[in-house]
Formats: sequence, C-alpha cells, structure tokens
Amino acid sequence: MAASMNRRQALKGMVGIAGTAVGAMTARAEEHPAHPVAAPDAVAMLYDNTICTGCKACMPACNEANGLPPDTVLSGGLWDMPADLNSKTKNIIKLYNEPDASAFAFVKRQCMHCLDPACVSGCPFGALKKSDWGAVTWNSSLCIGCRYCEVGCPFDVPKFEWNNWNPKVVKCEFCYDRLKKDEQPACTAVCPTGAVIFGKRTDLLEQAKERIASSPGKYFESRVYGEHEAGGTQVLYLSKVAFDKIGLPKLGSTSIGHYATKVTSVIYKWLSGPIVAAFFLGGLIKRNWNRHEAERLKREKETGLPDQL
Amino acid sequence: MSSHDVTGTTLVNHWQRGVPVYREPVLTPTMLFFAALAALGLILALVRFFSPLGQFSGMNDAYAWGIWKTFNVMTLTALGSGPLAIGMAAWVFNRQKLHVVMRTALVSGFLFYATGLVALGFDVGRAWNFYNILFPWRWNAESAMLEISFCMPVYCFLFLAFENLPLVLERFYYTGSDATKAFLKRWAPALRRIYPFMLTGAYVLPLMHQSSLGGLLLLAGDKIHPLWQTPFLPLLYLLAAGFCGLGFLTFLLLITCLHYSRPLDAGIMGELGNLLSYVCFLFLAVRFGDLVWRAQLGTAFAFDRMSLLFLFETALILIPAVALRRTAVRETPRTLLNMAALACLGGLFFRFIPTTIAFSPAHNARYFPSVPELIMAIGYISLGILAFGLAVKYFAVLPGEIKDWNYMFRKVRQRRPEAVRI
Repeated sequence: MAASMNRRQALKGMVGIAGTAVGAMTARAEEHPAHPVAAPDAVAMLYDNTICTGCKACMPACNEANGLPPDTVLSGGLWDMPADLNSKTKNIIKLYNEPDASAFAFVKRQCMHCLDPACVSGCPFGALKKSDWGAVTWNSSLCIGCRYCEVGCPFDVPKFEWNNWNPKVVKCEFCYDRLKKDEQPACTAVCPTGAVIFGKRTDLLEQAKERIASSPGKYFESRVYGEHEAGGTQVLYLSKVAFDKIGLPKLGSTSIGHYATKVTSVIYKWLSGPIVAAFFLGGLIKRNWNRHEAERLKREKETGLPDQL
Repeated sequence: MSSHDVTGTTLVNHWQRGVPVYREPVLTPTMLFFAALAALGLILALVRFFSPLGQFSGMNDAYAWGIWKTFNVMTLTALGSGPLAIGMAAWVFNRQKLHVVMRTALVSGFLFYATGLVALGFDVGRAWNFYNILFPWRWNAESAMLEISFCMPVYCFLFLAFENLPLVLERFYYTGSDATKAFLKRWAPALRRIYPFMLTGAYVLPLMHQSSLGGLLLLAGDKIHPLWQTPFLPLLYLLAAGFCGLGFLTFLLLITCLHYSRPLDAGIMGELGNLLSYVCFLFLAVRFGDLVWRAQLGTAFAFDRMSLLFLFETALILIPAVALRRTAVRETPRTLLNMAALACLGGLFFRFIPTTIAFSPAHNARYFPSVPELIMAIGYISLGILAFGLAVKYFAVLPGEIKDWNYMFRKVRQRRPEAVRI
C-alpha cells in the first residue's frame, strides 16, 4: 500500500514537473500581432533634427547616468569620441553631410525601444525584456552571451563587450533606473534646445504630427519615423533629410517578432505539433519494431548471432 | 547476387551486420595528425574560456555570429542528421535493409552534434549562465535559440547517446568477464523494451531543432538576402538536413569502405542514392515553390552576384537529384561518391550562405574568421574525425559480412589463435 502511494506520489510529482514545463513553455508565448499597439502608459522620445544643434550634451549625460567610460580611441586618449554606438556608448549624435555639401543633418542614435522588439523575441532566457513603460532592459544574470539580439535587431543597437572576459550586452535601457525614480532619461533631461524630448508615446506622436502639419514640406515624407517601422518604436524621429541617409533603415510596418513566430507559434502551441508528431511517428515505429522483432528471432536462429541495434 | 560496375569493382549484396575494423594499427600517422589538430583546437578553446572573445575571433557587433555557430553548428549538423534521415527511412518507413548502416549514421551523427555543442559552449560569452536552462519558468519559449539550446544537448546526450549504447555494450559483452556478460544479458530485454520509445524521441527532437536552426534566421529579417530569407526557412533547413544526412552517410560509407578495403553492398548503396535523389527533388520543389510564391524568380535569375550564388547552390543539388535517378549512376561507386559529395556541398552552401555571405547588416563591417577562430573550428572537426577513426576500430560500426564477425573483438581473437583470416 505504502509503495503504491509512493509511486502515485512520484507520478504526481512527475506530472507536476511536466505541467510546469509545458505551462512555462506556453505562458510566455504571447501573441505577436503584426501591428502591435503601444500600452497606454508607454513612454517615448521624440527627436527632431531640425532643432538639434549637434552640441552632444546628451552624450556625456548618458555616460554619466549609465556609468560608461569615455571612448577615447579616435581622440588619442583625450576625450570621449566614439565613431558609432559601441560597447562604451549607448547614445551618440552623428552628422550626415550631403555629398555636394548642400545640406546636413544630425541624428541621435540609441535603442529604439520597439513595441515588439526582435531582441526580446529571440532572447533565450528573457535577459532582454520589455519592462515597465515599454523600456527594453537587460538582465546580466539571465544572459548567456549568445548575441542573438545583435543578429535580430534591425537597428544594429545591442553591442557586445568583445574585449571583456565577463562580457555585457550594452544598449540604451531608457534610463530605466531614472524612470523608476520618476525622472526622465538623462539625454532628454539635459538637451538644451528641446531637440529630443520625453513624454508619453501618444502625446509625442500627436505633437510630432502637429509639427508636420504646421510646417508643410519641412519634414521628409511628412511623416514620423518610428510610428509604424518594424511594428512601431518608442523613439520617434522627425527629419529634414531622408531617413535612410541618417542611418534609419527602410523597414516594413510588420513586427519582426510576428514574422519570426507566426508559423512556429501555431506548431508549438501547447507543444501540440511535437506531441502529434510523437504519437504519429511512435505508432509507426512500434508497428515496424514489432515486425523487426519477429524477424529478429528467426534471423538469430539462422545465423547464431545476436541481433544488432 | 552480385553486379559489376563499369570499372570492374565487384559490388556484393553482403552487408549483414556491423563489424569492427581489425588488423589495422589504431594510431596511424593520419590519426595522430588529427589528434594534434584536435588538441591544438581544444587547448585554444580552454584559453578562450578564460579570455575575451574579441582576441580569439574576427566577430564584431555587425557579424555577431562567426563560423563556430554558422558553420560548426548550423551547417555541419546537417551532415550529422544521418540518424534522423536513415532512422526515419528504416524505422518509420520500414526500409528494413537500411538497418545495417544505421550504426555508421549514429556514430557520425553523434560526433557532429557533440563537437558542434562543444563549439557552441566556447562560443557563447556568458556560458556560466546556462544553468538557467534548469528552470523552465525562465525559458523564453518563443525563442528559436532556446529551443535549440535545450533540444540539441538533450537529443545528443540522451537520445543519440542511448541509440549508440548497444554498440558500446556489445563490446563489453564480447570482451568482458562472465559477470559482465551475465549482467548485460539480464538487462538486454529492458533496453529493447524502451528502445522504440527512445526512437520516437530521437526523431521528434531533431525534427524540431533542425527546423529551428532555419527559424533562427527569420528574426534577422531584411538583413538576409530575399533569395534566402523566407518563412519557409525552417522547412528548407529540415529538408536540407534530410538530404545532407543521406548524402553524407553515402559519402562516408564509400570512403571508409574503400579505405579499409571492405566490399560494398550494391542494394543498400543504391537505396541510399535513390532516397537521396528523392529528398533533393523535394527540397528543390519547396525551394522553387517558395520563390514563385514570393515572386522572387526574377531575383533568382537576375545573374548578379547573389543570383549566381543561388544558381550554383541549386545546381549542386539538382545535378545529383537528376543523375541519381539512373541505376547505373547509383550502383557505380565512383559516380555515387561524386553525386553524394555534390549534394552534401549543395546542402552546406544552402545552410551557410544566409548566415554569412547573404547576410548584410546595416554597417559596412566585414567579417572573416581570424586564425585562432579557424584553428578552433578545424580542431572541433578533427576531434570528430579522430573519434570516428577510433570508433570503427573498437566498435562494430561499419557494415560488413557475417563471415568476418568471428574474428572481431581482440579478446575473442586471442582465445582462438587458430582462426586465421584467409
């Protein structure tokens, strides 16, 4: 009696563990709509390069807020002078010049905080996640350093510390620690001209559209970059030159997570695909196995040698 | 029942069971060469584990995946899919005569996977955090990377290892003491009882992760050239694993049997060639069906750099598919070897191109593997070759004839000194 109880308990335990596993497999498998809708409390940045003077005040502010060392490779060890976003730079102001010098434009680059980020879809243990207010944050204790985020990100934002034994993934986290303290990100707080401003995504989107409406022809394509790109981002851009010239790639309006998971999410729903495959293949294997076993005894008698698996 | 090919080599239909290679020195100069390469690669890998990745590879933030992932894992495990392809043919579709070559597929497949996983272990930057795999509630189940990092080790070290167990136990049985023999005899029926269930797992898991390897690339989106970026990538990666598994087993059997002067079996080699041709056609049908569906046929025949690369890759798969329809090609060892090699090469191209050559991140960064990176990649492959060379000598892996069986394991030979092979 006791033995059977133990066995039953053991079985229950096993079912429990399997259930947890299946539950965990499916609980996080949220839907990836093709065109995600921002949460009502989603924050955003709006950057307008018709206002930006290229003073770069946001760069040391970002370094200070995030404890980043200056990148002094290009300046010969003198001052912070990154060439692009890198493992020491989460935020950068870059200058675009037309080849015939007829026009120029600044651009501020940092994480776009996509509504449905590719990096978050791909991250195996959820080290990168969409945190409160939509900030995409990185957790060092869950990251295995597979760099799938770098492969997935359409904006080439996450950077890896190639020269660190204990490498971190470096990317703008929307100053998540400051957001929690009810402060705005360091870059928007310090910007003297209001070229980059902080607010709710709905408000900033509205404001950006007002700016477009009040000065027709001023902005490229009279649209906001980031409203629909890759399903929408929480950093919005207004530009006087073409977006791809300032390094913002041409992207479709479908979320990349949707594209990558639309088939697999059906096949792996409740692990139904693998389970159906296991029963189907298992049935055929068992049938052929039994045939094989029947023949095996005959063959063993004939040859006097045990069958090999 | 024997047939003759044009070059006069006799093909006898006499593969009956796995027989070890004996009367051959175990450590030949070639084996020592591979051992040295493997040692060099593994020593570098150990040093790499305690140093930053940047010093050991040419990878950068734009090309964040180097050849350890894209070649050793994503490409070479296609060649290691023999246990899936042959096993499905033998156990699911009841091609009984393929059972005899199963062991060659199992050992080579296990080694491809194991060395690929070693490569993966030294490739990730924060390997110590991998313990998170033990906590299902930390899994991001929608991530193809999670699926692979869970499924591949479980498949390799549980299911494939189990499938390889009988050939290891068999050696213990023939060389061990009476107590060992009694023990193994007692547990053999239990092993046979769970074997079909383990077989099921051994086919479901690779169906999942071989397709997920293609699924990985979906997230890269527009970075991959439209000739390769398609929602059908998971299916195509799986089919590529199918014909690469068949093709590589054919190739491996031919070269090892030639190397160790074993007679070939026309019926089985012909069957492998036949299946190889069908899976190649199936792959090409999906590949072209997808291009038509996405209206990319124009891109395919634009005859620019990527189009030529695509046409070259397709030709490598189409030529063996067509040629192997002819019995004469299938049953001539030389042509079969060439066609199997072409198919494998085509599959490797298909698997490798979208990860590197047709992969263009926004930056103008370049990637070429650095010297230590190459040495490590070659080291992992050498480790596999070395282990296979040892396995065929110590275990009954390669198919042979029953008449050779009595001379097999060393201890059996010692007990019967009168048994001299003619």
